[in-house]
Formats: sequence, C-alpha cells, structure tokens
Amino acid sequence: MKIKVVLSIIVTILVMIAGVYFLRPHTFHGTVIQSPEPSYDFTLTSVDGDVSLSDFRGKIVLIYFGYTFCPDICPGTLGNVAQALRNMGTQADDVQLIMVSLDPERDTPEKLAEYMGHFHPSFIGVTGSKEKLDEVAALYGIFYQKAEGSDATGYLIDHTATLMVLDREGYLKLVFPFGVTAEEIADDLKYMIRQ
Amino acid sequence: MNKYLMNGLYTFIGVIAIAAFAFKVFQPIQVLPRMRISPAYSFIDQNGKTLISEDLRGKFVLYSFTYTNCPAPCYNMGDTMTEVQSRLGEVDLGGIPVSFVTISVDPDRDTPEVLNAYGKSLGADFDQWMFVTTPNKALLKTIVGSGFETYYEDKGNGEFALDPGYVLVDGWGIIRSEYRYTTEVSDADRILRHLGVLAEEVKNSTGSAKLAYEAAHLFLCYAP
Repeated sequence: MKIKVVLSIIVTILVMIAGVYFLRPHTFHGTVIQSPEPSYDFTLTSVDGDVSLSDFRGKIVLIYFGYTFCPDICPGTLGNVAQALRNMGTQADDVQLIMVSLDPERDTPEKLAEYMGHFHPSFIGVTGSKEKLDEVAALYGIFYQKAEGSDATGYLIDHTATLMVLDREGYLKLVFPFGVTAEEIADDLKYMIRQ
Repeated sequence: MNKYLMNGLYTFIGVIAIAAFAFKVFQPIQVLPRMRISPAYSFIDQNGKTLISEDLRGKFVLYSFTYTNCPAPCYNMGDTMTEVQSRLGEVDLGGIPVSFVTISVDPDRDTPEVLNAYGKSLGADFDQWMFVTTPNKALLKTIVGSGFETYYEDKGNGEFALDPGYVLVDGWGIIRSEYRYTTEVSDADRILRHLGVLAEEVKNSTGSAKLAYEAAHLFLCYAP
C-alpha cells in the first residue's frame, strides 16, 4: 500500500513537471498589445496599384516603416524577417510583410518593388503623398524626419525602427523593437499561426 | 501504471484549473492594458523648441488637451495635472521619470508665448511639463483626434468643442490608460495609482516575474 502511495505521488509530480513544460504559455519576444479595435486601415500605392491594409485580412501582417536608401537599420530588419519566413517553410504563406516608404521623393513604387524583391519575393513596398505618409506614420507611432547624409547616400531619414505585427483580423498584436532576431520573429509568428 | 498516470494527469489539470481560477479571482498581480500605440509627433513647446515623441521614450507621459481661450466654466484639466505633478513623491516610481504634455488644439492663438504664460499661471515645472501644439492643423487633428482618440472641433466662433480627458503612455510609447469619465475616485488619485502599477511592472519585467505579469495581462487582471 505504501509503495502505491509513493508511486502515485512520484507519477503525479512527474506529470506536473511535464505538463508545466509542455503547456507553459508562449512568451512573446515582442511586446503584446491588447488593442480593442482593429488597427488603422490605410491605402497606399505599390507597383501593382493601390494596396489597403484590409486587403490582407486572413493573413498575419508585418508592417515596417523605412526607405530604400536606408543604410543599415532597414536592410537589417528586412533581412531578419526574410530569414524568419524562410525558416518557417510553408507557414510563411500566411504572413505578409508591407514596408511603408518614408521617402516619397526618391522611392517610386517601381524602385520599392525592386528593393523589396531582393529580400523576399512576397514583400510589398508602398508609398504615397507626404501628407498621407505623415498621417499613417503618426498613427503607427513612427516618428520620422530628414537628416543630413553624405555625398554617397544623399539625405537620410531618421525614423522609429519598430516592426509591428497585426493578427488575421487586423488587430495590432505585437511590436518588435529594433534588433529582434530572425529566430525570435519566427518563434512568435509560428505561435500566432498555430492559434 | 496507467491508473497512476491518469491520477497524475487529473491532479495536474485540477491544480492548473484551480490556480488559474484563483489568479483571476484574487488577482495577485494587477496591470494596465496595452491598449494601442501612442501617436508619433513633432510639436513646438512653450519655449519655441521642438518636442518629438521619441524624446519621451523611457518615461511615463501623462497627456492632456486644452486651449487657453476656453471660456468659463471651462473644464480645468490643469488642476489635475498640477496635483499629479505635485504628488508624484507619493508613488514609488523606481526612478522612472514622468513627463506631462498638454496639447493645445488651437495653434492659431496658442503661440509659444501664450502657452508659456498659461503654464506659468498653473505653476508648471517646464523641465517636466511641456505645453505644445503644431501649426499643421491636419496633422494635429490626426494626432489628437485619431491617435489619442480625443474629440475636438473648431466651432468657428473662437470656441472649440473638446472632450476632456487624460491619456497615460508608458516608456515604450504604448497607451496604457485613458481618463475620460468622472468616478468616485479623483482622476489624480487614479493616475497616481496607475503610475505605481506601471512602475511595478517595469521593475518585474525580467525573469520569471515577467511570466507572472504576462499572465496578468492574459487574464485581464486590470487595475481599477
């Protein structure tokens, strides 16, 4: 009888340890937002015409604000997202990255399409008038302004470098800070796809 | 052995269910919801200097909205802001700075000089409390109306329709609380309590404590 009790206790403890390990909640690498309303919907121009955020309901959407002349931060982040999507295999089909260009003077839709294609074939680049970009950037918490560059780069654009993730219903779900790795992005996206 | 395994499984499920229920009911940890991203901006302050949203990263920021020509009896939001500023010492902020930003919706009349005089009349410490606006009225409407979700409208007779309210933003630029309705507890008391809740979360934002705080978000254990 004593052996049975001891065995029961041991098995219970083992099951609990295994349960806690396998059922532990996912810890997001990005900051989780519990937005009560869908994210601001915008319409901007890509090489294939107008693109609205709401066109991608049903997909997980990553929004990034940058520009093609960006020397380091933008290519670093876009490269990490591209690597994350490659790591995710077919699950990447459920994910769409949109980069909003903050440099309407130099980033034409054609130039944006060419630039985005270097990172991943599914990436979309959009742009619009300065007034429209001011509005979209403000509402996504993206500050940007022109800054002095070199002869080689021309002017630069200082901008907030966060990467935002919207769920399939268009609610802002995650905000990644600059420096998030491909593995961390893939980990969170995979969890969102499983949900 | 199967019997022991099943007993262990049932016990585990029972413990988890009771723990989750107890967490929700007793709310040992309370948080403020991460509601949405605070809008980005570039404003001109009461000294004619530029204030950009990125300047306030890493600080808790309390926003209010006004226009200095608001005729009596105008809802005086300055009183609450002044009270919160003067009582900050009551809260353990863990060294996290707090800033106050009052945004004028009337850039035509609320020049830096006017805002400066208005701030002085409230006894504001300008190192901590900025009075700002922007001549770009379309963008101002986007920032205040859509970003901070605070309704205002120029009535064309020198007056504005303006919904009073305060918005509390954390150091990551995320809106954590809004104060738009009068409750039995004064706005200043609620704001001060919420600043303490935010500071406590920041203090426990690493290691296993972070898990507990994320669970509090998951179970919607929101501080009243």
